[in-house]
Amino acid sequence: MPLAIDPAILGQEFDRAAHEPVTAEELISFASALRETQARYLEPGPDLVAHPTYCVRFKGQKFFPDTLPESLRFRMSFDAGKDIALGTPIRPGDVITVVSTLHEVYEKTGRTGSMVFVVVRFTMENQRGETVAVVDNRFMYKGLEA
Amino acid sequence: MRPFDEVLEGDELEPAAFLHAKEQVRSYARASGIYFPRFTDDEGARREGLPGMITPGNMSMGLIATYLERWSGAGTLRRLGTTFRGLLLPDRTVRICGVVTQRDEAARTVEVDVWIENDDGERSVIGTATLELG
Repeated sequence: MPLAIDPAILGQEFDRAAHEPVTAEELISFASALRETQARYLEPGPDLVAHPTYCVRFKGQKFFPDTLPESLRFRMSFDAGKDIALGTPIRPGDVITVVSTLHEVYEKTGRTGSMVFVVVRFTMENQRGETVAVVDNRFMYKGLEA
Repeated sequence: MRPFDEVLEGDELEPAAFLHAKEQVRSYARASGIYFPRFTDDEGARREGLPGMITPGNMSMGLIATYLERWSGAGTLRRLGTTFRGLLLPDRTVRICGVVTQRDEAARTVEVDVWIENDDGERSVIGTATLELG
């Protein structure tokens, strides 16, 4: 484990945030901006659902847990990518709650040197307790020494 | 929904080529609540050390999802993983491409490798997706 990360902080909830109810207008604007043409994502009415990547709009109130080493918390990172697992579709009126956990921290060595990756997981549920998405956010730090 | 039985490993999805317009990026930034200079204004982006306006990584994911479901059918995307390898600058023609890499008979899902490339063939975003077919 790089940078003396305490394994006990992995998987621990460090933030929980509930968002305002989703509106049909927001869903339609979002889908339109992504060149969508499918009625399911664009037409107002009882069948309207969110574009599959709408879930990335939701975040927690903190990026990282307070227990993350300072060398990571106060240093610039790069957005390395995301992994989304989709569940129940999001619909107008849904209230989404995001639970944040530190999922993984790992090192890689590439052509440009060593890199540390921090993965923050957002688990998202609607007001019925149904999982709408799990999003793993990967942040990359360059040039850190273990 | 695309029938599972009509899809083979190695099948290439028809690429989608389009002008990735600045106004589209601004629309996305507005709709996502991330209307920041780096995504909306060249001068503002340069003040942050960027070459000009850039595309949010989330927007790249979204464009990929739209592309995939145009092939497989609305509501078929189950998982999408992406790696952001470089900046996707707007006001350029981009292509989104995909190829089927695996079929799961039991789940009736396919795995697809997908990417966004510019006119020089450089891939700014790469990813893999799982789609559940009919």
